[in-house]
Amino acid sequence: MKITSSNLLQHELMGLKTEVEESSNSNVSGICGTVVDETRNMLVIENERRKEKKIPKAGNIFIFELNEGVRVRVKGDMLVSRPEDRIKK
Amino acid sequence: MKRTRRRIGDIALQRIERLFELAEAEAKKGMEKRCDRYIQLAREIGMRYRVRIPSHLKMWICKGCYSLLIPGKNARVRLKGDYITTTCLRCGKQMRRPYKALRAPSPRKK
Repeated sequence: MKITSSNLLQHELMGLKTEVEESSNSNVSGICGTVVDETRNMLVIENERRKEKKIPKAGNIFIFELNEGVRVRVKGDMLVSRPEDRIKK
Repeated sequence: MKRTRRRIGDIALQRIERLFELAEAEAKKGMEKRCDRYIQLAREIGMRYRVRIPSHLKMWICKGCYSLLIPGKNARVRLKGDYITTTCLRCGKQMRRPYKALRAPSPRKK
């Protein structure tokens, strides 16, 4: 079993390519890169210039790119919880 | 109920394996902090959902400082007598595991 759109919310986000599609903060939308760390309220995204961007989960819509080019749109509000607590949600 | 628990365990195990992959990749790039973070998360997931870290991965975690051990980089692996001794070069902890004769089967495992 791999990461699929059905179990993405419980699965590991680290290492996935992502893009902020929509945000209440216009400076944040459009940022893309790989997820390198995760806290309860934030995703740390490393962009192609190897800069780390800390982006709040709540209020943003993310697109995650799974392997084989599948893209999944996720509301950030659904991700708000500590990474190790997310499996049970 | 039983089914959900099994599913949770399954996902937890996958996440642990994935985190180890990432940790190794980061260690090769020299991002030590990130590597530590991934191992910490893998351990936390294992503890929370009572999933064991597979023994072939657990071998490469330092029991003293929980860093990922990479032979030649931050670990020394030597055969000493009947044991493989792995020394963590960061904290100096030595971990031994036998490699010769199998021990008598433990009474708990059946």
